[in-house]
Amino acid sequence: MPAAPLKTALEELLKTRRLQLEQPPLRGEEPRPLVRSGIAPLDNLIRGFPRGQLSEISGTASSGRTGVALSLLARASAAGVLVAWIDPADRFDPASAAACGAVLERLLWLRGRPLADSLSAAGTLLGAGLFEAIVLDFAAAAPAELRRLPGSAWIRLQRRVACTRTALLLLASEHVATGPGGARVELQAARPRWSGNGPGRLLRGLDATLAAGRHAPTRASFTLHAL
Amino acid sequence: MYGGLHAPDALPSEGALVELARSFTPRVQAFGATPVLMDLAGLGRVYKTSDELGNAIARAAVARALQANVAIAPSRVAALVLARACPGLTLVAPGQEAAALAPLPLECLELPQAHAALLLRWGLRTLGELQALPSHGLFDRLGAAGPRLQRLACGEDEAPLVPTLTPESFATTLELEWPIDGLEPLSFLLARVLQPLCENLTGRGCKAAALEIELRLEDGSRHVQHLKPAAPSAEPRTWRTLALLQLEADPPQTAIEALTLRATPTPARFVQFSLLDPAQPSPEKLAETLARLIAWTRDGKGGAPRLLDSHRPDAFVVETYAPEPAVVDPRALAPSPRLALRAFRPPRPAVVRTNGGFPAFLSAGGIGGPVADRAGPWRSSGGWWDVAWSREEWDIALASGGLYRIFRDRLRDCWFVEGELD
Repeated sequence: MPAAPLKTALEELLKTRRLQLEQPPLRGEEPRPLVRSGIAPLDNLIRGFPRGQLSEISGTASSGRTGVALSLLARASAAGVLVAWIDPADRFDPASAAACGAVLERLLWLRGRPLADSLSAAGTLLGAGLFEAIVLDFAAAAPAELRRLPGSAWIRLQRRVACTRTALLLLASEHVATGPGGARVELQAARPRWSGNGPGRLLRGLDATLAAGRHAPTRASFTLHAL
Repeated sequence: MYGGLHAPDALPSEGALVELARSFTPRVQAFGATPVLMDLAGLGRVYKTSDELGNAIARAAVARALQANVAIAPSRVAALVLARACPGLTLVAPGQEAAALAPLPLECLELPQAHAALLLRWGLRTLGELQALPSHGLFDRLGAAGPRLQRLACGEDEAPLVPTLTPESFATTLELEWPIDGLEPLSFLLARVLQPLCENLTGRGCKAAALEIELRLEDGSRHVQHLKPAAPSAEPRTWRTLALLQLEADPPQTAIEALTLRATPTPARFVQFSLLDPAQPSPEKLAETLARLIAWTRDGKGGAPRLLDSHRPDAFVVETYAPEPAVVDPRALAPSPRLALRAFRPPRPAVVRTNGGFPAFLSAGGIGGPVADRAGPWRSSGGWWDVAWSREEWDIALASGGLYRIFRDRLRDCWFVEGELD
C-alpha cells in the first residue's frame, strides 16, 4: 500500500480511536473549547461549558444544580483528567459522585473553609493548570454572604481562568457572576418523580427545567434519576 | 590477584569485614556480612609480595579485633573457597589454584543440592576428584552444568568481581557566619543549598522522595521539618517552595545558625508518553500546588475521597491526592446524570410530626413545612459489633419546595435531616 494513503489511514485510526467527542487531547493537540456536561438537552442548548471562562449554574434548592455539576465532573474524570470541587460548606457527597460515575481518585475535594479562602484556592488551582474543570460550590452560601464578597474578586478570578484551559463552574442559589464568554444556566423549580404507592414507593428522579443564555434564555427539560 | 576474607565467628558489626576490605581497596564485593572479596590489582606498588600483603591484611584484622580467614589467590573462586575452608592466611601462587583447591571437600564449593547429592552418590568427596573427571563425561551426564562445576573446582572464574557500592548520602550543611532571622533570608540560603543537592541527585539518576530540613537555632535547639510530597522531585524550585510553605506554617522561634538538608533518594521515574493516552499532569507541579493548599489539605480536610466498604451512611475517608496515570477505556459506558445528595455534616436535628406513621410536618432550623409527598421508610442498620447504628430513611418533598432525605435514628428515637437532594 502506498505511503500517503497508509499515513492517512493511520491518522484516521488514531482519530476514530477517540470514541467520545470530548476525550482529553492527545499530546500536542489543542483541546476542544467546550466541556460538556453529559446531559443531552443542556449540551444541545449551550453546547458545553467554555474553557477559560467562569460559568454559572444557579437555582433554588432541589432544582438539580448539584446533579448537573456532578455530571460534568464525572464525565471529565472518567475521561482521565483531573477535576476539583471546592466546597466551603462541606456539602459534597462522595457516594453521589461515585454513583454519577466520577472517578474519585482524580477528584480533589477541598472542604470546610470560608468563602474568601475558596476563591483563593480556586486561583491556586487555576494557576497550576492541571485541572480540566473546577466547581466552586457556593450553593449553600446565603445571598447576603455572597454579596459581601468584593466584586473585584470575580473579575480577578475571571482574568485568572482566562489564561487557562480550565472550565470554572460556579454553583449558587441565585445569579452571582459569569465571565464574558461563560455559560449561564438557571435551573427552575423541579418536579420530583415518584413511582408506586404505599410502602414500596420510591423517588425515581427529578424533572428539572433549565434556562440558558443571557439575553433571550432558551428552556429545556431533563431528568436526573435517583436510582 | 584477589583476596578473600571470611569470619567463621560472629562479627562485632555487619559491615566490619567490608570496612576492613575497603581500608585496602575500594573494589570490594560483599556476600552479606561474610565472606568478602577484594580486588587487589594495583597494590603491588605498596606490598611487594603476596605474603607481605596477606600479612598486612591479617594484622589489620587483628587490630580491629576481627577473627578472619584471609586467602590471596589469582582467581575469585579460589580466594573465596580458600577463605571459607582454610583458617588463618592462605596464599596461592598463579597457576596453583587447582592444586590448592584439590584437597578441599566438595561442600566448600556450595553446590546446588541436586548436584551435590549426585556427586556424593558417585563417590566423589574432594574437589580434586571432581577436577579429575573427564569433561565430556560430565557434560553427557549433567549437561552444561557439569563442565561449569568442574571449572569452579579448578578455581576458574566464571564472572568478574562486581563491586558493592557504598550507600550514598545526600546531605549538606551550611554554617552561617551570623544568625539570620525570618524566612526571606532563609529563602536565599535554601536556593543556594538546594541547587547543588538536586544536581547531585540528578547526576546519580535519583530524585528526592523526602527532604529533612534541620535548623540549628541560636538558643541551641533544633527545628526539624520533614517534607514528603506526593511525588519525588529533583527540582530545587519545587523543594524551596515546599520548604518555605512548611516553615511559614511552623516557623522557627529564634534566629538560625546553621541549616542542614538531608534528602532521601529514590530512582528517578521515567515516563514513556503514549500517543493514544491522555497527557498526564506533572507530579512535581501537583505536589507544589497541594503544598500551596496546605491549609485545606492539613488534617484531612482536602484530598481525594474514597468510599469505605460499609453500609454506614457517609462512610468515606479523604486520602492524599495522588492520582495514578489514567488508563481510559473508550468502551466504558458514559457516566449517567443522577440526583445528588448535598449532605449536612453533622446531620441536622429535626422535629417531625407524623400522621399514621408517615412524616407529615418537618421543622429543622431553616428547613420546614408540611410534607407534600414521601417515599419510605427504608430501614438499615449495622455496626452492632462496634458503634451500632440503626435508621429509618425517608425521601420527602416539602409543600414549600425542596427534596430532602430525612431519617429517624431508631436507637435514640430522634429525627435528622441527612441532606438535600439536588
